Amino acid sequence: MKTAIKNLGAAVLLATLAACGGGAPTKLNPTTTPPTVLDYTGPAPSTVDIQAFKINLWENIKASNRCGSCHNAGGQTPRFARNDDVNAAYADANGVVNLTQPDQSRMVLKVAGGHNCWLSSNSACGDILTTWIRNWAGSVATGGKTIQLVAPVDQSVGSAKSFPTDSTLFASTIYPILHDANKGNCARCHSSGAATPQSPFFASNDVNEAYAAARAKINLDNPAISRLVVRLRDESHNCWTSSCANDATTMLNSVTAFANGIPLQVVDPALVISKALTLYDGTVAAGGNRHDTNLVALYEFKTGTGSSVFDTSGVEPALNLSMSGDATWVGGWGINIKAGGKVQGTTTASKKLADKIKATGEYTFEIWAAPANVTQEDAFLMSYSGGTTARNVTLAQRAYQYEAFGRSSTTNANGIPGLLTKDTDRDAQASLQHVVLTFDPINGRRLYVNGNPTGDVDPRTGGSLADWDDAFAFVLGNETSNNRQWQGVIKLAAVHNRALTTVQIQQNFAAGVGERYFLLFNVSNLVNLPQSYIMFEGAQYDSYSYLFTNPTFISLDPAVVPGSIAVKGMRIGINGAEAHVGQAYATLNANIGSAYTASSGQVLANIGTIIGLEKGPTADMFFLTFEQIGSHLHASTDPTPVTQTPTDNPLLPDVGVRTFDQLNQSMANITGIPTTTAAVATTFQTLKQQLPAVPSIDAFLASHQTGIAQLAIKYCAALVDDVAKRTAFFPGLNTGGGSASAYFASQPNRDLVINPLLQKVVGTSLANQPQTADVQGELNSLITKLIVTPGSNIATVTKAACAATLGSGALTVQ
Amino acid sequence: MNFEQLDKHRTAAAVKLRAALNTSIAVGAILLGFAGYAHADARTQAKRMHDRIAGVPPDAATLNAMAALIPGDPIAAAAIALQAPSFYNVTLKNFVTPWTNRDQTVFAPLNDYTATVIGMIRDDVPFNTVLSADLLYVGGAGRPAYSPANNDLYEQLESSGADLSNPAVLVSTAQSTASGLPAAATAGVMSTRAAAQSFFVAGTNRAMFRFTLINHMCKDMEQVADTSRPPDRIRQDVSRSPGGDSRIFLNNCIGCHSGMDPMAQAFAYYSYDETAGRLVYTPGAVQPKYTINSDNFKPGFVTPDDHWDNYWRKGPNQLLGWSPTGGSGTGAKSLGQELAGSDQFARCQVEKVFKAVCFRAPGNGTDRTQVTNITTAFKSGGYKMKQVFAAAAAYCMGD
Repeated sequence: MKTAIKNLGAAVLLATLAACGGGAPTKLNPTTTPPTVLDYTGPAPSTVDIQAFKINLWENIKASNRCGSCHNAGGQTPRFARNDDVNAAYADANGVVNLTQPDQSRMVLKVAGGHNCWLSSNSACGDILTTWIRNWAGSVATGGKTIQLVAPVDQSVGSAKSFPTDSTLFASTIYPILHDANKGNCARCHSSGAATPQSPFFASNDVNEAYAAARAKINLDNPAISRLVVRLRDESHNCWTSSCANDATTMLNSVTAFANGIPLQVVDPALVISKALTLYDGTVAAGGNRHDTNLVALYEFKTGTGSSVFDTSGVEPALNLSMSGDATWVGGWGINIKAGGKVQGTTTASKKLADKIKATGEYTFEIWAAPANVTQEDAFLMSYSGGTTARNVTLAQRAYQYEAFGRSSTTNANGIPGLLTKDTDRDAQASLQHVVLTFDPINGRRLYVNGNPTGDVDPRTGGSLADWDDAFAFVLGNETSNNRQWQGVIKLAAVHNRALTTVQIQQNFAAGVGERYFLLFNVSNLVNLPQSYIMFEGAQYDSYSYLFTNPTFISLDPAVVPGSIAVKGMRIGINGAEAHVGQAYATLNANIGSAYTASSGQVLANIGTIIGLEKGPTADMFFLTFEQIGSHLHASTDPTPVTQTPTDNPLLPDVGVRTFDQLNQSMANITGIPTTTAAVATTFQTLKQQLPAVPSIDAFLASHQTGIAQLAIKYCAALVDDVAKRTAFFPGLNTGGGSASAYFASQPNRDLVINPLLQKVVGTSLANQPQTADVQGELNSLITKLIVTPGSNIATVTKAACAATLGSGALTVQ
Repeated sequence: MNFEQLDKHRTAAAVKLRAALNTSIAVGAILLGFAGYAHADARTQAKRMHDRIAGVPPDAATLNAMAALIPGDPIAAAAIALQAPSFYNVTLKNFVTPWTNRDQTVFAPLNDYTATVIGMIRDDVPFNTVLSADLLYVGGAGRPAYSPANNDLYEQLESSGADLSNPAVLVSTAQSTASGLPAAATAGVMSTRAAAQSFFVAGTNRAMFRFTLINHMCKDMEQVADTSRPPDRIRQDVSRSPGGDSRIFLNNCIGCHSGMDPMAQAFAYYSYDETAGRLVYTPGAVQPKYTINSDNFKPGFVTPDDHWDNYWRKGPNQLLGWSPTGGSGTGAKSLGQELAGSDQFARCQVEKVFKAVCFRAPGNGTDRTQVTNITTAFKSGGYKMKQVFAAAAAYCMGD
């Protein structure tokens, strides 16, 4: 039932052993002070290995508030914590540890399972014990890694609710709220006929289209986590009353009514499916090969409950942290820090950082974090400091940059000048990143993101850390003074008292973070080969999804040699139905055969995908479906989309205004002055963006009219000043005919100006142009006013009449 | 729209114009009142048609000629307006310019993208080759030579007021000859310098896909988002848990990227060199921009070549009406053919022209039927854009 997969990065034993918990009820011992180690008077360690056992494990567990309380010289067997003879303790300890795979030691599994953990978190005790045993084992524990795959207990895909094919039930329950503007607020956008259509169109006028789009937003097993409800309840997305809670309840009731109307169904019998399993039925693949030799503090965020974050470095005294404000646990090991949240240790416990780091003069601050955004600035991700003006070290985010302040003899007491990554590199991204700050006396500070040096050079050379203040506190997500908020998810944080090398940092990056499992989906009956599985690497990706990567066909029977097995269109099912979103293997088209090896199987695809979480990792039951595996076929079909008629738009004016180029060209055409004429060309370039850019008459502004008037004046001035063009346009007009008042006292002379303008600008016999008499009246009135203006002459009055006509609605409106 | 409603809108417009007037009395501009609106006659219809097509009012002779044709053959009347140089220099230039830049501004200089579209429309080049043809319009004799590294030619054409309706001024040539791009790598306007400068610059080349979709399919990403498509081709740079919340990816990001990334892969060998000011094409070598931020999601897709697939042929986006052939290929040219071969491409061109000529989007059943009819004629008539302008102008010339 087992096979070995080499080089998969983690040492794991039989996962089934993890269930070996039990023992006495957990007793909470709040004391976390380091055990006394100076009272040993027994025989000296007789071998080097016993000496390693003594230093790394025995001295940590022999105290009376730990294992030594019972497993002492006269107490319960095995007496691995006896204080009288370390050699005898060593002999007993060998029966309960696994130096090759420390986290699978019986001692670890027992304590992690609830047996007399001295902290409030069993897993934290287990991790600390693991660290001690790993330190004892040294290189033995970091050697070749072998995963022992264990066949899960076969489970059939259970019954589940699935969406009815027709939309009748939907139409009578959820649809009215989605579609009716008097009940909900969705149709304003989520309809293809909306003024600003936003997919998905679950509020479409067509109920079938709406139903097809709404399916992905409805959870039949748990209506409360339906996207339709979550958007209102948790994200206040366009609620239609003043209370999003009430709107969410209304939506929840409708979704519940819909879900209740659907009977439980067995999984679609037509599907070609594998056996099923949950995430935790998989073989553990966690605990990658990190370089933790010089750990001072380590936070893996495995606890998942309570407000304490345990330091599982095993380095005493433990620097445990307290969560405060809006800091919450996230699935798959991590914490989410939002506005007002932080995680901080006491100054007393934090002192070990100063003590250990000053002793070496070097440090590494390492973190796996996903910034909530790339706009936050002065956001302190990780800090060992005493406020905004005094610090030992701080790792911060500044929008797309990371920034490090580290006090040394070459900086001030606030760690300034800091080391800032290059803006254009955009090192900080709103995704899970491995960020490392190192310091050593030669090179000073260095930053690494995702295993790569950022290449930014410390503005100061390295120096001494002798001036570090040991009265500061270690804090994540903020400054101790609460005014340097960082928001995002942290999945691991570690402090080392050595500057890790690039290779060591890359090793830690490659080790990854979080819990991972090998999920074996039994397909033996589909391929007619014993113990055959499609294996995924699976993990809880964050609080809302699972990660599936590297699907691999493998048989646990080493004798199996697959011939040629086609695998096409593989989909991941969850709780009885195929997931609606994230089916990255739906396009898979692979053939199992020549590339298969008994030791590592055959990788089917080298991509990964995420699948939405529904009920949680303990309950979500996964399975696989196939369009083809071997001789089994099932054609997957998409729902047929329905074309729907858009809604009618409101009535709009069917007239508009001429836009900038149109006005310019129109005036040029009418006056005969080319657009390239210097005077008008210069004016047009200046005015261009002041003129209407769109023909919409609703968008016409006073400033547009001002610009049009200025342009019209330029064209008319150029026209009147050009004798030939003026004569052609205004035949008979004599600009040298005396004073304006005398010349334009005569109506026939006025008509020499007015009539050409009427004819060439306004046009004749056009029903939608101004009435001739109106234009004549306005222009006469204008001329009458202008001729009495001091300084006016025939040319200027002509220019004004021309500009008044050319810049009017007669030309502008079309 | 009935006359009462029309009058109401015109009155509202007049009030605005009068308000504008108050600011301009000093310069002598006056608002001239409109004549009472009577049933639009042929002259009025002809003027509107000319205004909308050519952007300028017709002279008396043109108006008379068009008015004479209107009652029996309005399309022939429109054909007269289509001969006006300003149809090319003004209407088409302003019609196309917003497609050529990210800000979608009309105040951008004339460029090779705009000039090529103008030339194609003028010469009745089938417009469904606009995203794939080995075609470029450059200056004629006496004009500066085309340079793939600057826009001087087109700025000179614009500033000199060159008549783009003149086949001797704006001439057709092979893009591969003018720019040196391999013929197989040309993709109509997508491989012009202006398009590269706007949409291949920096970033991840997804901009070229998105803006092509907006400009030539009349769809922005929100309207085609479909979360049900397989996400196997979404690149590594797309975070699957933005800010630690994978719901954002599963409900939003995936909707666009699952369809966009496999198609934008067609541009894997293209980029824009800001220093040299020109398009870069590296056959066989995927541009580094396709693999940036690879740690955002390590198990994401790593682009090996410029092979593209259209996942939107299934799911709700099959309603875009893809041609029976196609669906996958290599390079931008075949992607351009895929897009331009769809019903939506043809309909989009008609809708754009309709909006340009009628000053509104198709807004009711009658409009939509008209758009459908024009689209059908557009496709069956060899994708001639001038026909679309003529038909739309005839439809919107007023009752």
